[in-house]
Amino acid sequence: MDNPLFTIDPGLFIWSIIIFLLVLLILKRYAWTPLLNFIDEREKEISDSLAMAESAKADLEQVREESEKILNEAKNQSKSIVSDGKQRADQSANKILNDAKQKSDEFVLDAKKKIDVEKKRAIKEIKEEVVDLSLDLASQVLQRNVKDEDNNKFVQSSLKEINTDEAKS
Amino acid sequence: MLIDKTDTSHSNDPADVAIDHVANNYEHIILKLSLIPEKWIETYPLLGIFDFSITKHVFLLILVAFITVSSMIFLVQNYISSKTKVPGKTMNFIEMIILYMRENVLKSFIGEKYYKDWDALVYTIFFFVLIGNFLGLIPIFDFLGLINYLAGGIPVVKDLIHGGNTVTANINLNFALATITFGAFTIAGIKRYGFFHHWKNLAPPGLAWPLYFIVVPIEVMAMLIRPISLTLRLAGNMMGGHLALIIFTQLFIIEVAKNYGIFAALGGSIFSVSLSIGVIFLEIIVAFIQAYVFALLTAVYIGMAVNVDH
Repeated sequence: MDNPLFTIDPGLFIWSIIIFLLVLLILKRYAWTPLLNFIDEREKEISDSLAMAESAKADLEQVREESEKILNEAKNQSKSIVSDGKQRADQSANKILNDAKQKSDEFVLDAKKKIDVEKKRAIKEIKEEVVDLSLDLASQVLQRNVKDEDNNKFVQSSLKEINTDEAKS
Repeated sequence: MLIDKTDTSHSNDPADVAIDHVANNYEHIILKLSLIPEKWIETYPLLGIFDFSITKHVFLLILVAFITVSSMIFLVQNYISSKTKVPGKTMNFIEMIILYMRENVLKSFIGEKYYKDWDALVYTIFFFVLIGNFLGLIPIFDFLGLINYLAGGIPVVKDLIHGGNTVTANINLNFALATITFGAFTIAGIKRYGFFHHWKNLAPPGLAWPLYFIVVPIEVMAMLIRPISLTLRLAGNMMGGHLALIIFTQLFIIEVAKNYGIFAALGGSIFSVSLSIGVIFLEIIVAFIQAYVFALLTAVYIGMAVNVDH
């Protein structure tokens, strides 16, 4: 080993081992472990915040969907309320109208009936009045006593006459 | 290279100049610090493990360690304690490297389950080697040499300017790193499979028994050769770049000046400077790649020890 490039130097070898191990221990304690912990922590922080952002986004999406749903429901409800109200209003209006019609019809019918009855009664009364009157008139004109039978006969015949007149009219 | 005027030991042989620019220097030791007499080491070189003298490369090693530790801790602590949690440019770059290595190297080679035991080692190897490589690219010591030359020799600086300043080109340091890698993947295997089962993993099951006499030695050799290949790969790459640089800039000029005069050398310097700028860019890439390869292979070996697919 004459070549100075390859001189064996046990002293340097021992120095190197001691110094390198010292460097290793010091760096491990004060550089690598804290640095790697720091990097891991930061990586965790980044991934955590990314996950958080992701979940926040999902939450937001959910909230948006929910609000849309609620909005749609509200719209539908309001629509149905409006249409319901309309329907009900229509119904009640119809009912009122129908009732009124019915009532007025009933009223008219009643009135007609009453009128009819009154008319009939009036006619009857008029007839009786006419009979009495004509009887009076006749008895006065004729000035004669007519037997009850004759009387009756006459009345009957004249009533018949009036009835047939009425039927004709 | 600028030479201390008071220093007579320096050779002017181009090869020596080139090697001096890359290798460690044992003639100018900054601080002698040996636990045993030097005579013993001369007779038994392995006793050199007790020689803690601070040579230039030991000094550089300490410098690299200091820069790595202080810059990393400063950047990371600054980043963590910042309220905005936004990394600065440098921190962003470091974080990018770390995250890239975690996803593409640690998780894919060692696996989700076990990578956390070894990530600090892989990151530290990467940044340590990277800063070592880069420190070699910055000619601080040549600048110090200039100051020393002008001042006529400054005590500590005088010893610092000799020898190469790429500490990762030194096989001793690289072999130490590779030994740590070796220790790491052995421990990883033992932790995962237990002591005996880990070594049994060297012998893949399901072979006819005579084959084991061939397979087991090959596997053992492959395992033992790993630290050596790591060592030589890094050292060779860092050394090669610097040798190329010194040859293009200095030796080329010296030879031209010797043979054709100073004006030819000036003309040649245009060529050599442009070439060496290219080499420096290449070296920046190589510095990154080699640091990455060292860290990557560490992870791969640990992964191979931990995930034995039988």
